[in-house]
Amino acid sequence: MDFDVVIIGSGAGGAPIAHTLVNAGKSVLVLDKGPLLRTQSDNLDGISDFKRDELLANGPEKILNLPGVANNGQSYFPSHVEPDLNDEPHIYKDKQGQERATIEGYTANVVGGGTQLYGAVSVRFSREDFALGSLNAGRTDLANDPNGDVPREARDWPLDYDQMEPYYAKAERLVGINGTAQGQIKPFTSGNNTYQTPLEPNPISQIVADGMDTLGMARYRTPLAVITEDHAPSGRTAGNPKTGYVNRYGDPMGYKSNTWVSLLRPIKDNPNFELRPNCHVTHLQAQGDRVTEVHYLDPTGATKVVSGKVVVVACSAIESVRLLHISAARDADFENRINGNNLLGAYFLTHCFGGAEVRLRRRFDKSISLDSDWATDHCANPDWFRGQGLWAGGVMYNNTSDQALPLALARHDGSADLDTTWNGWVGRVFSRANSMPGDQFYDIADFFNQELGTRLSVSFMANQVPVRANRILLHPSIRDKWGLPVALIDKSWHSHDLAVMATLEAQCRAILEQGATQNGGFDNGNLESGFVSGNARIANHILGGARFGTDPTDSVLDPDCRAWNFENLYVADGCFMPTSGGGNPTLTIQANAFRVADRLLASGRI
Amino acid sequence: MVDFTYRDETYVFNRATRYLARTEPQQRHNYLSRLQPDTVRGNVADAWRFPVLDGAPAGTDANEVTFIYRAWNGRSPAEVAVAGTFGELYQPIPMKAVGDYFSVTVTIPFNQVHRYRFRVDGTWLVDPINPQQVTDARGETWSRFFTDYCTQRLVLETWEANILDRLTALLLPFRTELGRQFLDRSLPHNYRLDESVGVVNYIDKILAREENHRLFDYRTCLSILNEVLRARDFVNEPEAMSRALYEQVLGEMESGNVAGWDLDRYGNPNFFVKLLKRHTVTGAFCHPKYGGNVNGIAWAYLEERFRAEDGGTLFNWRQAVEQPLGNNPDYNG
Ligand SMILES: Cc1cc2nc3c(=O)[nH]c(=O)nc-3n(C[C@H](O)[C@H](O)[C@H](O)COP(=O)(O)OP(=O)(O)OC[C@H]3O[C@@H](n4cnc5c(N)ncnc54)[C@H](O)[C@@H]3O)c2cc1C
Repeated sequence: MDFDVVIIGSGAGGAPIAHTLVNAGKSVLVLDKGPLLRTQSDNLDGISDFKRDELLANGPEKILNLPGVANNGQSYFPSHVEPDLNDEPHIYKDKQGQERATIEGYTANVVGGGTQLYGAVSVRFSREDFALGSLNAGRTDLANDPNGDVPREARDWPLDYDQMEPYYAKAERLVGINGTAQGQIKPFTSGNNTYQTPLEPNPISQIVADGMDTLGMARYRTPLAVITEDHAPSGRTAGNPKTGYVNRYGDPMGYKSNTWVSLLRPIKDNPNFELRPNCHVTHLQAQGDRVTEVHYLDPTGATKVVSGKVVVVACSAIESVRLLHISAARDADFENRINGNNLLGAYFLTHCFGGAEVRLRRRFDKSISLDSDWATDHCANPDWFRGQGLWAGGVMYNNTSDQALPLALARHDGSADLDTTWNGWVGRVFSRANSMPGDQFYDIADFFNQELGTRLSVSFMANQVPVRANRILLHPSIRDKWGLPVALIDKSWHSHDLAVMATLEAQCRAILEQGATQNGGFDNGNLESGFVSGNARIANHILGGARFGTDPTDSVLDPDCRAWNFENLYVADGCFMPTSGGGNPTLTIQANAFRVADRLLASGRI
Repeated sequence: MVDFTYRDETYVFNRATRYLARTEPQQRHNYLSRLQPDTVRGNVADAWRFPVLDGAPAGTDANEVTFIYRAWNGRSPAEVAVAGTFGELYQPIPMKAVGDYFSVTVTIPFNQVHRYRFRVDGTWLVDPINPQQVTDARGETWSRFFTDYCTQRLVLETWEANILDRLTALLLPFRTELGRQFLDRSLPHNYRLDESVGVVNYIDKILAREENHRLFDYRTCLSILNEVLRARDFVNEPEAMSRALYEQVLGEMESGNVAGWDLDRYGNPNFFVKLLKRHTVTGAFCHPKYGGNVNGIAWAYLEERFRAEDGGTLFNWRQAVEQPLGNNPDYNG
């Protein structure tokens, strides 16, 4: 046996396990297909591999070259750490049933995974989020649920909030998060919270605070995985983290608490830890109930094999499901063990999400901010959402850093998802010749005059109904650059999701309406709201597909996130979730991974 | 002799694996055949990233340039070296093997353009990955690269750049009296790229490298435009024609219906305007190392224009950006 544990993926699911097991003296190998991009202080020459450079978040144009997909020939603008669409596409079916390649459903391929680019909003799920099965049993008052799908499909998690709570606390302390507990509906029971003190909010956020106050919504400072004080567990020194380069940007200074700087860098010199970046795992091989070989391609593309007493898959949900499907396609016994109940890939989830946005009469400097300042659990309160005929609730928070910089503003203007970057903006008419007589001349300066620093949005993240037909499959013909089948995302929205989204959208809208009216107002037509409806949209929240549970016929993983019919195979990224939770998922993925690590240590398997 | 170093394995893999390692030899990256057919470049992702440019230690005003060679025929060579105009042209610098990749890193000042070749087991080759090539006076082909803040013209002809300068100026903020005053105050005297604040320079660079597949669009449309403009003004050279004429033609292009436009040569003039809009705003507001937004002037324009009641700016870009461009005390760029 080469290692006690081989972990595939170094993001939110993989890193907490590596951190815990290395500190417990176990030998751990982490494989990640992405590069190890280092901060300024990691590199001897004092130059970071991440930069405050707008062209790293969306790069130069490339052209899709995948014969057969409906968007073949279209432009795409990948970031430097996203997978390349031509090399490793995800395919989804649009509403017309046509297949399209999409970058949605990927996080980032780099050591640290999606936490390198994330907005770092790190909320806990609520008590009810763990128990939606019992909470909805027998309900007949649910909006837009004519067939009773929701009570039938809702599931309790195999553990409750109180069992997860100490792991939330642990994740918050070790990852390094700032925020406030007061005002949250989520109880902090295992002791004092370890949040660092939040920085002064951006002045624009006062509008949201006023709106929430007027509506009687208890608010709290959005917990953000960004250090504002020196962070002893990871040995990081605080500095000024406020810039406009937040969401979709890696942090050259390491203030953002991605899993590399917070969990892996602190253990990197331990002799029982090894990290192999730029190594793509192609498949697992098993003998009976033991995974015996992890097959991967080394940085030159040569095939390699490594083994561990335990193997942990944490590639982010779609890619983990894909890896397991690919492994199963090579071996009927593997297929039977991992997918005997035909649930692998099923109940794929993201979030119900959307919100409202206003163009204010005043301008603010949004380029000095973090991702969010204020959040409220108003809609996570069970009395509230039950009263609305909804099965579950969610969190609402304001976005502060979005569209804070000129190019971000231009390229996301009017685009519907990550695949349509630039589309809206290039259609704007800037020349005088096309305007009507009497129109004001409109140039790029006017565009920024109108838009830069004047936009404020409030978003919601709420539970999506688990639907069996929403699933991750292998595409029958499209292959990645290694010749492996790519993931096919087959998903749409349940009619109850639309009710959830419309209700929470209205709440976000009310916050802005109230707040903006009290702060200089806004012009008619400048308050917009909406929610996702396109089939591609995933909001970077990639969950479900290998859910855990107490019943082997109804789940893929046991309560410890071990595959039911494998002795030594664990799956630890977002795909374990049976429901998606009423908030951004990463803190819960991390907390659960810390829990899985403890269960592993207690299991006697290593 | 130029200084060179060998970066560690992780450094090289971090910049090579994602783009070069693969087993499916398919032409996925040939931009739908818009680039010259070439198996190696069409097979790998982002061939334009090679040689790899990186920042050099703060205050050096230079890039670290890492040359990477990989054998594509399955045989690993015994000896690989690189020579170019950045050093002694005929004294190759040995490259070191890291897995299948051979590499060496040299430090080269900003705003330089160089040509180079690899010597692989005694044979001189152009870089099989890098699509940038030039032909020297003796008709020999070389690979080329350029460093950040490059202001040397690489692919656009002067007449093309002149028309482009007028077109981009129509879209940019600096035509108003306010904008013009700002420019006069802020730009180095006699800066060649005055009105476009470097946008044409940015476009020249991106067409030379990242979006070389769009050079065809620019070449074709600027040539048609040249004819269209000359057919409407017999007196002036295009760069001296009236602003009104440019506005009229740009408007027609947006509508897709341009009197005198040869649709057989380029079927969708509105598509070109869209391309131009994206490149213009990107060139104006990108980090200045890409060749536009000289000295951060477009950011400074917003900084000056957007003021709070107390007079403070509402676009304080400098606080996040490295010195000397910005004034962040910690971030080195
Ligand atoms: C722009 C952006 C903003 C976001 N904002 C937020 C936010 O504010 N709050 C929040 O909670 N969440 C946010 N997210 C989502 C968050 O990033 C994910 O929830 C989280 O990273 C998921 O954790 P994971 O372990 O499932 O996957 P990841 O963290 O993505 O880790 C997966 C890792 O596996 C590696 N990998 C994949 N396949 C293989 C393979 N075959 N072999 C080897 N390695 C492999 C990948 O390279 C990657 O490093 C955001 C995401 C993005 C992209």
